[in-house]
Order: sequence, then structure tokens, then C-alpha cells
Amino acid sequence: MSRLLAAPANLRRRHRAARAFRAICTVLTWFCLVLLAVLLVHATREGLPWLDLQFLSEFPSRFPERAGIKSALYGTLWLIGFTALFSIPIGVSAAIYLEEYAGRSRINTAIEVSIANLAGVPSIVYGILGLAVFVRWMALGRSVLAGAMTMSLLILPVIIIASREALRAVPNSIRYAAYALGATKWQTVRHHVLPSALSGILTGTILALSRAIGETAPLIMIGALTYVAFVPSGPMDQFTALPIQIFNWVSRPQQDFHELAAAGIVVLLVVLLLMNAVAVFIRHRSQRYRL
Amino acid sequence: MSDPKVVDVPVETKEAVAPDVPVLEVRDLTIRYGDKPAIRNVSLVIPERKITAIIGPSGCGKSTLLRQLNRMNDFIPDCNMDGQILYRGIDLYDPEVDPVEVRRRIGMVFQKPNPFPKTIYRNISWGPVINGFKGDLNALVESSLQRAALWEEVKDRLTESALSLSGGQQQRLCIARALALQPEVILMDEPASALDPVSTSRIEDLCFELKERYTIVIVTHNMQQAARISDFTAFLDTGKLVEFGETDQVFTRPREKRTEDYVSGRFG
Repeated sequence: MSRLLAAPANLRRRHRAARAFRAICTVLTWFCLVLLAVLLVHATREGLPWLDLQFLSEFPSRFPERAGIKSALYGTLWLIGFTALFSIPIGVSAAIYLEEYAGRSRINTAIEVSIANLAGVPSIVYGILGLAVFVRWMALGRSVLAGAMTMSLLILPVIIIASREALRAVPNSIRYAAYALGATKWQTVRHHVLPSALSGILTGTILALSRAIGETAPLIMIGALTYVAFVPSGPMDQFTALPIQIFNWVSRPQQDFHELAAAGIVVLLVVLLLMNAVAVFIRHRSQRYRL
Repeated sequence: MSDPKVVDVPVETKEAVAPDVPVLEVRDLTIRYGDKPAIRNVSLVIPERKITAIIGPSGCGKSTLLRQLNRMNDFIPDCNMDGQILYRGIDLYDPEVDPVEVRRRIGMVFQKPNPFPKTIYRNISWGPVINGFKGDLNALVESSLQRAALWEEVKDRLTESALSLSGGQQQRLCIARALALQPEVILMDEPASALDPVSTSRIEDLCFELKERYTIVIVTHNMQQAARISDFTAFLDTGKLVEFGETDQVFTRPREKRTEDYVSGRFG
């Protein structure tokens, strides 16, 4: 072979390096996937016997066979609903402003750096902030509203950063095409930039909301309850949430409660999957609508 | 925004209003990016319903000059200018002139075809709709596509994505999109440089037909193209206007040595 094409001396070594890199990446990917699968199988196997309609429709109880997650499930839905209501409009608007309107002033640079930093602040810190500002100072109490506002603060930086990335990925040629047709900035953004960025914005938003669903620390901080025998009927009601209920069950000594926790985890995962499915659906529809 | 001046001159009555005023006149124009001049003291009058080619070596400022004519350089931070650009006698950079209205009247076709990722129909209709067009939209779409010599190829697939068209078709769609706004001037920034020879010659034929109704300014780095299609040629070098005249004269009897060197292919 070497007679056909004189290969440089190091070619064999380069090929070996390429193969080695590929092998390492493959192994690491499978390692993560297998780990995840093991966790899922484990949780499902433990929780499956407990997963029935009664589990979804009963309130927590100190008797495992009568315990359910109705209040936690409803609490989580209320919480995420309001969190989405607050964080999506504010986050997306902020991203549009920063990406499309704001110039390169010092204040804007400061804002950008702050947002990046805020995304890395531990969630417990947002919990403390929520406790001080929403629960105490605004006197919202340990309500769904206070929880949702705290969660919104927590995920706003993530939504803003993801939305900005999506907006930045829209090629400038589209903007110029619109401007050259006598479009105003808002018409350009509304009709071309936003639709093109929508799927990226949605993906980022859903990821952020998924994070909010799993967060426990800030909710404990602002005083979400661990035992709730009612479903919130409004934004000012007290509430609990799935991760708190799971945490509560895990910390009990009885094996039955541990299995209940596993069942709770499965429900939490199903809620997450449903949210992702909704995102995929909206993305698909928006792409068709764009035509 | 207070009443922009340009609004007072509807396209249909332009000749009655200003028969002797040139459609576009550049007066002592200097354009800088920051402090770095890209165009220096350029003056020229763009003749009406003719094709004016702007040629010159890479980086000579052709595109910069073109984009200044419909205020597309407004989007480039640090880009500033001295001098005047008059459209029918109106200073395009007068603070009272609304750049959005300028761009509606002076259309632009870009180097790379940039159709919207929407249907063919929407690509054409969007501009008129957002500008408040109140007529027969279907007829406007059809006539625009016909003028851009694209109608026959797309009339059965108007609801398909514009991205399903070939590169040459996309560029003609972009021309049709500009025509739908019934502009008076069309600026073209190397409209064929990303296209194959057949598509290029179709675009050139199209320019030829369009000059009966529109004033066309075309930037090209292809001298043969300039010689083939344009009536007037402006030769720019390092931001200065070296020579401007009828294309025949510029290519066969250039007054300047620099022009002669360039058009005969000795540099650039």
C-alpha cells in the first residue's frame, strides 16, 4: 500500500489518535446513557407497584397504602404554570431587547455579565431572596405566587441566555431582507426573527422550566409545606410540590415510603416528558405555520 | 416620527412633480467606518431608467457606496458620512426623512439570495402588506413574479417554501420581492456572484428588461458583466471615484490610466 501512495511518516499515528478519540467519546456517551437507564429502571421497578389512580388521587398519609401525591402534583402544576406565566414573557422580552435593540453601552455589558453570573447562583440563594422579598416584604406568605416568583427569578437568566442564543442564530441576511423592503424593526422582529428563533427559544424555555420542576431547595426555603392535605385553589394558597413530597418520603425510615418516593419520581419524570412533548409539538406546528 | 418628507412624492406622479430633478445624486460623499474612510469625496448623478454599474477591485468601497444609497448602512455601527445623497432632490439623510420609507422606494437585492423561509407567495406579498397595500394582492404577486421572469416556473407552487427553489430562482424571487413594492430604484449588490453561468445570464437579461421601468444600480466585480449590461459605469478605487461615464467610453476609451489598467485586467 505504501508503494501506491507514499504516506507521511506520522499518518498511522494520526489515524490511531482519531480512532482513540472516537472510542473515548463513544464509551463516555454510553456510560451516561446506561447510568440513566439504570436509574430509570430502578425507580420504575420500585415504584411501579404503587403507581395507580389512587396514588394520583389521594393526599399524603402516614399509612403508605393510603398515601398519594395529589396535592404535590397539583402544587407542581400550579407552580410551573405561574412560573411560566412570569418568566417566559419577561425572559423572552429581555432577550429580544438585549439582542435586537440594545446597543453596545457599558450598562448593557454590565447587564449581560450580571445575567451570566446570575445563571450560576445556587438556587438556595434565590430561596433566601424569595423569602425576604416575596414572602415577608410583599407579604405574599408561603403561597403559590411567592413560590412561582422565586422560581421565575431562578430560571430567568437561563431563559434569557437561551433565547439570546436562538435570536443570534438567525442570520442577519433575513433581517436585512426585511429592512430592505421597508419594514420597521418591530415588523422585522415580529414576522421573521422571532419565528426563526422560536424553536430555539422554546427548547431553552422548556429546559429552564424542567429545572424549576425539579428544584427543592428554594421551595423549602420559602416555606412550601411538606404535608398538605388540600389542593391549592388559587395563587395565594399554600402548596407543596413533587420534589418536596419525594424528599419527605425518602427521609422516612419505612421501606414502603421509599417505594412511594420512587413512584413519585416516575410521576415527576412523566410530567417532564409531557412538557418536552408539548415543546416538540409546538415547534413542529410553528414550522408548518411559518410557511 | 413626524411626517417624513419623502411621503409627499408618490411614485406614480414623480415625473409630473420633478421632471428635471435627477433620480439619485451623490454629492461629495465621504463614508467612514469609525475614522477609516471607505468612500472619499465621491460625486455622481445616477441616470434615470438606465443601468449604472459600479466596478472596482475588492475592498474599494463599491458595496459601501451602494448601501449608503438606501440607508442600509444605518445598521452598521460606527458608519458615518459627510456630503449628500439626493433622491429626487430630497436629502436622504435629512433628519426628517424616515429611513424605512427610503428603503421602500429604493429597493435592494443582495449578493446571496436571501428569501424568507416562508412560501413563495408570502415572500412577495409580505413587503406590500406591511406597507399597507390595499389592492389586489394576488394580481400584485403575479405581476411582480412575471416582471422578474419567474412566474411560469412557480405559478403552480406558490404555497411551497421559497427555500425549495434553486439559487438562481431564489435570486429572481428576491428581485420580484423588491419589485412588488413598486420602487423607483433597485440597487443590486453583486446579484449574480453566487450563481452559475446560466442563472447569471438570466439575471442579466432580467436587468435589461427592468431598466424600461426602473433605475438600476448594480455593483459587480465582473467587468464583462458590467460591459454587457450597463449603460453607465463608475470605476472606484480605494474609495475614490476614478472615472464615471458611458460604459462604452469607460471600457474602450478610458480617460484615466488607472481605469485602463483595471478594465484591461492588469490589476484587481
